[in-house]
Amino acid sequence: MIAVYRPGSSLLHRMPAGLKVLGFMASALAITFTAGSVWTQPVAAVLVCAGYLVAGLGLREILRQVWAVRWVILIMLVTQFVFLPPVVASANTGRVVTIMVLAALITLTTRIPALLDATESSLAPLRRFGVNPAGVGLVLGMTITTIPVIAGFAATIREAQRARGVPVRITTFAVPLLVMSLKHSDDLADALTARGAG
Amino acid sequence: MNNPLRFDVRDITRIAVFAAIIAVLGLPGAIPVFGGAVPITAQTLGVMLAGVVLGPWRGAAAVVIFEVLVLVGLPLLSGGHGGAGVFVGPTAGYLIGWIFGAFVIGAIVRADRRRPTWWRVALGCFVGGIGVVYAFGVPVQSLVTGLPLGPTALSSAVYLPGDVLKIVVATLIALTLWRAYPRAFGGAQVSTVSSTAGPVSAGSAGAGSSRAASTDAARPDAARQ
Repeated sequence: MIAVYRPGSSLLHRMPAGLKVLGFMASALAITFTAGSVWTQPVAAVLVCAGYLVAGLGLREILRQVWAVRWVILIMLVTQFVFLPPVVASANTGRVVTIMVLAALITLTTRIPALLDATESSLAPLRRFGVNPAGVGLVLGMTITTIPVIAGFAATIREAQRARGVPVRITTFAVPLLVMSLKHSDDLADALTARGAG
Repeated sequence: MNNPLRFDVRDITRIAVFAAIIAVLGLPGAIPVFGGAVPITAQTLGVMLAGVVLGPWRGAAAVVIFEVLVLVGLPLLSGGHGGAGVFVGPTAGYLIGWIFGAFVIGAIVRADRRRPTWWRVALGCFVGGIGVVYAFGVPVQSLVTGLPLGPTALSSAVYLPGDVLKIVVATLIALTLWRAYPRAFGGAQVSTVSSTAGPVSAGSAGAGSSRAASTDAARPDAARQ
């Protein structure tokens, strides 16, 4: 699912991230528990479309999100039609797709930092188990900045091996990647310690 | 220090870096899996390696961090997937299984704090990487899709050969990594600040560690012996 933030100023964009997540969870549960009724599926689909329109995202975005889960649809339909009656199979597939497209609406209308903040504050109850929410926030941010670095290591190794004609094998690729990455991790730790962390 | 979730700075950076490795292994074209001929995802390999290299608690933490980033919408799952949708889709159980799988792998590989043996890595990846992951994945998939448990298990069996292959690859990587850079496995679970002289690398004969120190192990051909 290529669900990147789409800027906007709609009601959904302005709603707090935590509230959106709770609203989504309630809707997903409602769709799941009323799945027996013939009306659930069409009503849910209409409401999800309405949500997209309220967010100013239009039909095109809905189609893009459905296209993004095409493999889920395909695999579900194939296995379900083999084992279940067609009506049940299509209802099940429709339900899963509706909920997944609805979930994408959160990601489309919320900036990632806002979601990270919401994650951090939702961890507060875990404090008594020794989880430090601010620490988790730090690691999340550190990981986001580290991904391009590791991807750079991967590119370097690939190019170096191609230049020397080393046969492309996952073992000869992964070991240098791990060594470079773990050394980078120690450098990061030294840098953090030097700045008074830990 | 009795709380296994209390990590020091070195643990924290390793968790972040490993979460990033798992992400990079899912980027399209980032890693050549068998010359690109087999379209299997290397991401579960990253999950296995997190458990093997970091041990149970830090390994599971790295997977959690990776998955939180997926949850908030970074398209990091292989194939460019991400967002809250995947956690309500048919594969949600497998994602949760990865966390516990990495923990079990780490617990088995690090059951005694000596060097990782091939059979321990293979056994750990089999129990944690296949047993635990499917134990979470199949029932949740059955629940989400409404397909009974039996047929769901049958349809998931398609992925078993690829997963067995990943166990072999993970074992090869772990043993080569041990020879090239024993410090990778350094730092006991509830470690002190210094991971250099941790019990793991101290246990390895001088030959292993001194070679790692003298060779620039980061050279891409280091793995070629």
